[in-house]
Order: sequence, then structure tokens, then C-alpha cells
Amino acid sequence: MAPTVADPHGREETAERSGRRTPSAGLLALALGLALAAALTAAVSLGSTGIAPAEVWSVVFRRLAGAPARPGTDDLIVWQLRVPRALLAALVGAGLGLVGTATQALVRNPLADPYLLGISHGASLGAVAAIVLGASAGGVLGLGLSAAAFAGALASFALVWCIARRGGGFSPLRLVLAGVGVGQFLSGFTSYLVLQAGDEQQTRSVLFWLMGSLGGATWNVLWLPVLAVAAGGLALQARARAMNALLMGDETAAGVGVDVTRLRRELFVVTSLLTGVLVAVSGAIGFVGLMVPHLCRLVIGGDHRRLLPLSALTGALLLVVVDLVCRTAMDAQELPVGVVTAMIGAPALLFILDRRTAAGR
Amino acid sequence: MNVDIEDLHVGYAGRNVVAGVHLMAAAGEIAGLVGPNGSGKSTVLRTVYRHLRPTAGRVLLAGADLRTLTPGQTARRVAALPQERGSDFELTVREVVAMGRTPYKRAFAGEDRADRESVARALAAVGLAGADTRRFSALSGGERQRALLARAFAQDPDVLVLDEPTNHLDVRHQIELLALLREQRRTTLISLHDLNAAASLCDRLHVLHDGRVVASGPPREVLTPQLLAEVFGVRAAVTAHPLTGDPLIAFDHRQRLPTGGG
Repeated sequence: MAPTVADPHGREETAERSGRRTPSAGLLALALGLALAAALTAAVSLGSTGIAPAEVWSVVFRRLAGAPARPGTDDLIVWQLRVPRALLAALVGAGLGLVGTATQALVRNPLADPYLLGISHGASLGAVAAIVLGASAGGVLGLGLSAAAFAGALASFALVWCIARRGGGFSPLRLVLAGVGVGQFLSGFTSYLVLQAGDEQQTRSVLFWLMGSLGGATWNVLWLPVLAVAAGGLALQARARAMNALLMGDETAAGVGVDVTRLRRELFVVTSLLTGVLVAVSGAIGFVGLMVPHLCRLVIGGDHRRLLPLSALTGALLLVVVDLVCRTAMDAQELPVGVVTAMIGAPALLFILDRRTAAGR
Repeated sequence: MNVDIEDLHVGYAGRNVVAGVHLMAAAGEIAGLVGPNGSGKSTVLRTVYRHLRPTAGRVLLAGADLRTLTPGQTARRVAALPQERGSDFELTVREVVAMGRTPYKRAFAGEDRADRESVARALAAVGLAGADTRRFSALSGGERQRALLARAFAQDPDVLVLDEPTNHLDVRHQIELLALLREQRRTTLISLHDLNAAASLCDRLHVLHDGRVVASGPPREVLTPQLLAEVFGVRAAVTAHPLTGDPLIAFDHRQRLPTGGG
């Protein structure tokens, strides 16, 4: 063994001996879980009608125990309006954290995110096309809509991938430019379709599909994102080691026994499916999938076995808080959730770009 | 574990880059692949760690055709150090080395004692035992190669495959890395540009030219002025190293010779 300290030729190597201390992932998860519980409570208790946290929990426990509704509006507001919405925010945030992490591993680029790469816009277009063309006559939030959103996500992902890949290279800049270009192109069609349809009952607004909103939350909507986030999270977690190897390169991954082509295909499908479901229930919410994994990586490092669950928790926490702000910031009206994520996320993107440029890559 | 490569053909986009290569490494032996740029060294190695699939011919590990093994089974026998550089995703040295345990792990399995011991052994073998919490991207070039070598060691492979592992290293780090390989005494397939390093390290050399093996054998027999002229298009004298007795190639840096291609 040759300790580098005693190595006279390795001065450059001894200069930076300070190791990074990684906080315990378990403790961090616990802290995030508690913060999420607090944020959910706040999200249900705050609003145009203030409801005390104790009252919130009493309603929730009564309902969970199967007790009949108490008379009065508080029960209705808590159980029918705010709880589903807060849960949807948490689910969508968790899902966005997961797809962001997976997309970044898949294209080996920390600037990737379903929104930035135009995948969300593809999903939006798919969903809107399904509604306008009547493909999902049986219930707007049924499987038909999600399937169309999934198809849109898959198609736009494939398109961006092919454009970025042309000429062999796969530079971060090219990828992001291709994603932004395709995203804008597709959202043009989405806006056109929504405005053309004109039927306010059937179509949700342009704003919903392009900026995202959690206003559509009801208990009936929740089951699909629950399933998608749980199944998608497990599918990704099962591939966490392989994703680590993929970061180092295709040859490295092949060398440690990863079937790279298959893994890519699987990540592609999981990411598109999950994005499709998320967009179907909440529209295209940007920048969460970009910021969250990056932030988590700074704190606990790049190992996907820890990064995936912590990104999910952080995403959930972030979106619950952001949605709370959107509901309560202005008296008369609600802000689209994507407006606020963009206000936080776009500067975050610039910060990431700057850091990477400074790092010489 | 013997590695035998029989009549290997590999092509990209319809063009054969490797056409009918036969070569081998006996168990415990270091076999070097040398040849000019584009001669097919990397391509041959990539088929051994299954980044590329042969269009014809086979790769045998202790007599077993690679195609009969799963990617995981292969990776428990063969560990690779490819030329690609890892990207910066905030992985620590330890996490990079622990990646070598991938072929031993099921989907949700955590690290067990065997994993930890293997990783610790690998880190110690390359002299990075104290650096395990450092960020991989903050390492110097020499340390980085050693960390990647440790990842290969952590795979507990019978066979090491290394593609130009000394590229971009200064001479001291080159010597250090090759010394590490000598100590390992594992069956090794290595491609090297530095013919003097190859002559000193390898038990057997395979010289590739235009996708074929044009000479095989002990360095002393293979590295002749005629071969160097024909394959590399350089004028050189081959003598014995005054310190080690290994073959020493002294190039004539003032004169090029015409080559047959490549």
C-alpha cells in the first residue's frame, strides 16, 4: 500500500485531502418525511378559510376511521378539497423528482428534466389531442388520457433524442437546445388545439397544460398517480446500481455486467410513462425535475440508491410548499404552479450551468 | 483463466474493423495488444467485456463461449478498464469502486460484508485506502486511473481487460500503474501504445495491423526492427535495456518509412 501522503511526487494529490462528509441518508429521509408531514398539514390548514391544524387532523382521523362527515363546511373543505390537492401535489412532486433523476442518468447529463427536454410538452399535446379528438370519451382522467399523454411523452423523447444524437455527438448544449426547440414546437400545437376546441367544459385551459396546475385534484384522480409513482419508484430503485454504472459511461456499465441497451430502453419507458401520468393529472410543471435531483446530489452525492428516494421526498416537499404559495399568495386568484416553479427553477438552471462551466465541462 | 479469441470479426456500419483475429492469454499471463491507431486493439477488447458483439468468431473464457454467459456472469469473470472518462455526477471514490460489486448484487440488495471487504481490499491495493470519501472528479489523473483500476479489482475478476490504461499519465504514474498490474498476477489483456512499456510488462504480445494479428509471441521475438518498419512505419533499433535486460526500442525520430496502410 502506498499512502499518498508520503508520496513526494504526489503533491497535487495531497492538496485536497478533505473528504466530503455525507450525511446519513436515513436521518435525512426522516427529516424530510417530518417536514413533508408538516407541509401537508400547513397546506390543508391554510387558505381562504383558515382551519386549525388540530381540526385538520381530527377530520382526517375521523374520515380514515370511516366515521360519517360532521356537518359544517370545514369537513368538506378539508376532506374533499384540500387533502386531495395536497396529496396530489406531494405525488406529482415525488414523481417529478424521480423522473428528473432518471432522465439525468439516462442521458448522462445533469441538465436533463422532462420539461426542459420537451417530454412534458409532448405529454401535454398527447393529452390535449385525446380530449379534443374525443379519444377519451369515458372520463377525462381515465386511462385514455394518460395513455395519450404517455404516447406523446415517448414520441417527443424519441424525437429530442434523435435530434440531439445527430452527428454522433451528445453534448449537453445540443440536448437542451433540441429539448427546448421541440418543447416550444409541441406547445404551439397544444395551444392551438385548446383554443380551437373552445369547449370550456371539455378542455382545460392552455395554462393548465403548459404551466401546470393541481386544481383538478379530487379523490378519484389520485389512484393513478399513486400507482404510477409507486411502481415507477420501485422500477427505478431496482435499477439504481445499474444507473450508477451508466453515469460512468456505456463501456463501464457493460464491463460491470449491465445490459446497457436494455437498461436505456427500460429507463426510457419508465420515464415516459411516469411523465405521461403526471402531465395527465397536473399539466406540464417545469424545473422541479431539474432542481430537485441536483440539489439532492449536492447534499448526499450521486449514488442512485440514496438519490432516488431522497429526490422523491424532496420533490414532494417542494411541490406541496409551492402549491400552498400559489393558492395563498394572491387574494383573488390562484397562480399557476408552473409560474412559481419557473421563478425558482430558471435561476437554478442558470446556477447549474454556471457551476458546470466553471468546472470546465 | 484462459482467454481465447478465435477468428473474431467486428464491424461498425458494414465495415469490418476487426477481420479474423486470433489471439490468446494463458491463465495468469499478461498479454499485450499493440499496433498503430485504428488497428483494432480497442475493438477486440470491447468484445471481451461485451460492449461490442462480434459479427463472427468467438471469445472463449476458460473454454466457455461468451455468448453462453449472461452479462452478469461475464462481469464476475472479466473486469474492464475502458478508455472513457466518467462524467461528474458527484460520486465518491468509494462509490465508484463499489460499482465493481454490481454483478454480484440483486436488485434491492444492500452491501454485505463480502462487498465491503472486497472494496476495502481493492482500495488498499491501489493505495487509495484513505481517499474513499473524496469526490471522484476531484482526483488527479493518476489517482483517477487507480480508482478505476480498484473498481475492476472489486469485481474479483479472473481476467482484467485494460484499454490504454496509461494514456494521459506522466511516466511515474505509468510505471506505478503497470507495477500494480504485475503484482496482481491475474490473466490480463492490455492494449498499450508505449512499446517499451509493453515489452517490459507483457509475457506475450499480439501485434495488430488493419484489423488482423500480424505477429504473436514473447516481446523479445515479436518486436523486431522489420516488424516495426512494416507495421508502424518507423525506423528503430532493438537492443537490451541496460538496467533490466528487457527489449528496448530506440526509435529514429528523424525518419519515417512508407507504410502499407493504416
